[in-house]
Amino acid sequence: MTNLRITTSPDRVRALLRLLPGAIGIALVAYALLAGGYLISVVSFGLIYAIFVTGLNLFMGYTGQVSFGQNAFAAISGYASAILTATYGWEPLLATATGLAGALAVALVVGYPTLRLKGHYLAMATLAIGLIAYEVAVQWQSVTQGYMGISGVPPLGIAGFEITSERGNLLFLAAIAALGVTAAALIRHSRVGRAMAAIAGSEDAARALGIDVARYKLLAFLIAAVYAALAGSLFVHVVGFVSPEVFGLHMVNLAFTMLYVGGIGTVMGPLVGAVVIMLLPETFRAFKDYQDLAYGAALILLLIYAPRGLASLADLLRRRAGEGRRA
Amino acid sequence: MIRLRLEGLTRRFGGLVAVDSVTLDVAAEGVTAVIGPNGAGKTTLFNMISGFVPPSAGRVLFEGEDITGRPPERIAARGLIRTFQLVQLFQNLSALENVAVGRHLHTRGGLWAALARPGWARREEAEVDRRARDLLAFVGLGDRAETSAAVLPYGQQRLLEIARALAAEPKLLMLDEPAAGLNAAETRALSEIIRRIAERGTTVLLIEHDMPLVMTTADTVVVLDFGRKIAEGAPAAVRADPAVIEAYLGGAEAAHA
Amino acid sequence: MPDPAYVAQILVSGLGVGCIYGLIGIGFCVIYNASGIVNFAQGAFVMLGGMITHALVQRMGLPLLPAAVGAILLVAALGIVVERVVVRPLWVRNATMFAMILATLAAQIVIERATLILFGDQPKTLPAFTDLPPLRIAGVAISFQFLWIVGASAAIILGLAAFFARTRTGKAMRACAINREAAALQGIPVGTMLALSFALSAALGAVAGILITPTQYTAFNVGLPFAISGFIAAIVGGFGRPFGAFLGGLALGVAQAVAVFALDAGFKNIAALSVLLVFLFLRPQGILGAAK
Repeated sequence: MTNLRITTSPDRVRALLRLLPGAIGIALVAYALLAGGYLISVVSFGLIYAIFVTGLNLFMGYTGQVSFGQNAFAAISGYASAILTATYGWEPLLATATGLAGALAVALVVGYPTLRLKGHYLAMATLAIGLIAYEVAVQWQSVTQGYMGISGVPPLGIAGFEITSERGNLLFLAAIAALGVTAAALIRHSRVGRAMAAIAGSEDAARALGIDVARYKLLAFLIAAVYAALAGSLFVHVVGFVSPEVFGLHMVNLAFTMLYVGGIGTVMGPLVGAVVIMLLPETFRAFKDYQDLAYGAALILLLIYAPRGLASLADLLRRRAGEGRRA
Repeated sequence: MIRLRLEGLTRRFGGLVAVDSVTLDVAAEGVTAVIGPNGAGKTTLFNMISGFVPPSAGRVLFEGEDITGRPPERIAARGLIRTFQLVQLFQNLSALENVAVGRHLHTRGGLWAALARPGWARREEAEVDRRARDLLAFVGLGDRAETSAAVLPYGQQRLLEIARALAAEPKLLMLDEPAAGLNAAETRALSEIIRRIAERGTTVLLIEHDMPLVMTTADTVVVLDFGRKIAEGAPAAVRADPAVIEAYLGGAEAAHA
Repeated sequence: MPDPAYVAQILVSGLGVGCIYGLIGIGFCVIYNASGIVNFAQGAFVMLGGMITHALVQRMGLPLLPAAVGAILLVAALGIVVERVVVRPLWVRNATMFAMILATLAAQIVIERATLILFGDQPKTLPAFTDLPPLRIAGVAISFQFLWIVGASAAIILGLAAFFARTRTGKAMRACAINREAAALQGIPVGTMLALSFALSAALGAVAGILITPTQYTAFNVGLPFAISGFIAAIVGGFGRPFGAFLGGLALGVAQAVAVFALDAGFKNIAALSVLLVFLFLRPQGILGAAK
């Protein structure tokens, strides 16, 4: 506390800025809880996507790799949750855990050969992986019920205690998202996170310092897969329904737009981007076809004109604060 | 004691022989410099020693152990750390974080330590921070810790790369043209730093174009020409060697340097 | 031991699809050579070739040939639009390779969704160009559409070879491929070449899409699998070598036909995509170009 008092005012501005996205997030969840209605489900979806995008950011923003196929892991876990609960009557929590384990296992098997690729090859291979997952969901009708999808998936809960209220769901999701973002922040500021950032900076230099590049790439990929899988299962249990379209290219498009709106490579960016995109009016007014068109176009514009997203705004403020101190 | 021994190390690229059967002993004490005209095969030699390019023939022995063809990260783990001719900093990180990455081999925190932050991991992180700041101060960048590596002036980027390499506590530090792009004052400061690194007991092997730096810093000079070792010895003796003067077209440059 | 005629049949269908992959692969190479960019929107051009031809035939009542020519021109124009609106702004800002990939993939999605809104989600097909029963040669059925595909591909390859070898523009594009800076210094308008490469590549994609549509169907979302196939064809052929890409397409088409034959028909796309992945993982390092 004494520490806080003796810091100069620009430092305090910086500290506040760092806390700002979190504070806004808490305020938003609180407001949604009070207001109820449609806002609850909008914020809920935002939080689920925030988890997915946080994982994506770990692999792409921190480690500097490319994956267009993270939706595959969301699909594996999401479908496992739906099938094991709706068809076989498992406990949702157990089904989700099984889904996560399955997604992790697939990520391990697929990740090993895929991550030896670089650049365009890596991008194309991961894109193919996402498409394969989609095709399997469509074609394996005896299990997935094809385009029809599976409905009647029970909400999350354990031993008979289900989270049935929308408000309960929102609080639960907010807690999970907060944990997810905190975990990502802890990873970023650790030996593991530094190794990942080193790989993003220069693979050769990382190797010259003894970093096992292949191992850390795989680790980042696996962590990202767990985030994606968790988001996939949460989505299915919250909505009560799954179909191939849920985890199709739409998901990739939306996730990247969120990542770039929030600011790739920043700790809070995924959360901010996910919530902002979900709150945009188009999201709940227009049909999905127009949404994807709008997100795609927005993504192109962001890449061209604001490649660091809202994070560049925060940078600007921080730099002002820094100049203030030097003056 | 011999730190590094090269036996008939050779690298061919297609029909071109970049390094031609180089045999060399690098003593554990002092600074050894590899010099030679452009295209003499110096960087290829470095890349073979550090594992970035597999040799076509020959062996690399580090403290008597055969490390030929091992991947770079395993060679680094053995205590052989290199820098790059074109500075390879982690531009996305601060100066302090760059040096902290250099501690990778001497720390052990994994995913669990990152998430749970047990006591030992927190102490380890504090130690990384302390050491990194010490090393920044050692190369004269004590006040640039929080600065992004990308915005440092070129000379400071070179020094930062050396600090980062030192963080890995190398037994053998290999510097690839550390003075390239530095002005005279910066080069003198660099020479001083290299001498101090050697005095601390780290073997230094460097490739260099800058003759004043080599002459004031190196204890032993090895001359490569067209991939072949043509001379080896104390700086003054090598400078007077007719074969060396011949190799540097016109000779005068090397002789007057 | 499978019936040799049946094996030959699989081979024929594989070669037919392989020609299509080859044409798309050439499209990748043309843009890559001019700019170092891999255009992830390549599949959109393939999809639009079939869709626009279908629309011109069905809605405007045009005969097939003028409809096809019209579609090729429209798609080529769209290629230039993509270059101007998406690629050029990133190019002049020296955007990272990854930003370029993502932007072209986003362009693919935008075009896909716009097509969905304009034409609906129902699969569409085109009539066979020559409405005759297939030829039977030694028990192997060879459809006239297969002959069209092979003939048109051969004609395109010869045409491209002449274009790159004889014309000023073709030579200029080749110069860009060898060394862009040097080409710029010699006064070759590198920017124009980039736009031209997108137009050419889009037209090639459209031709491929029009040729293949009568044998299967087209819909708003068929583009990406075709793009991935074309990309792998280009890799197998040694990235940046158009004629290698065509041969790579043939190899890929045959490999896929065999894989599809071995599996349930419903899993055709999965088998096809898996073959792609295997090709990518096992890509022979030796015959590779410099693509990173």
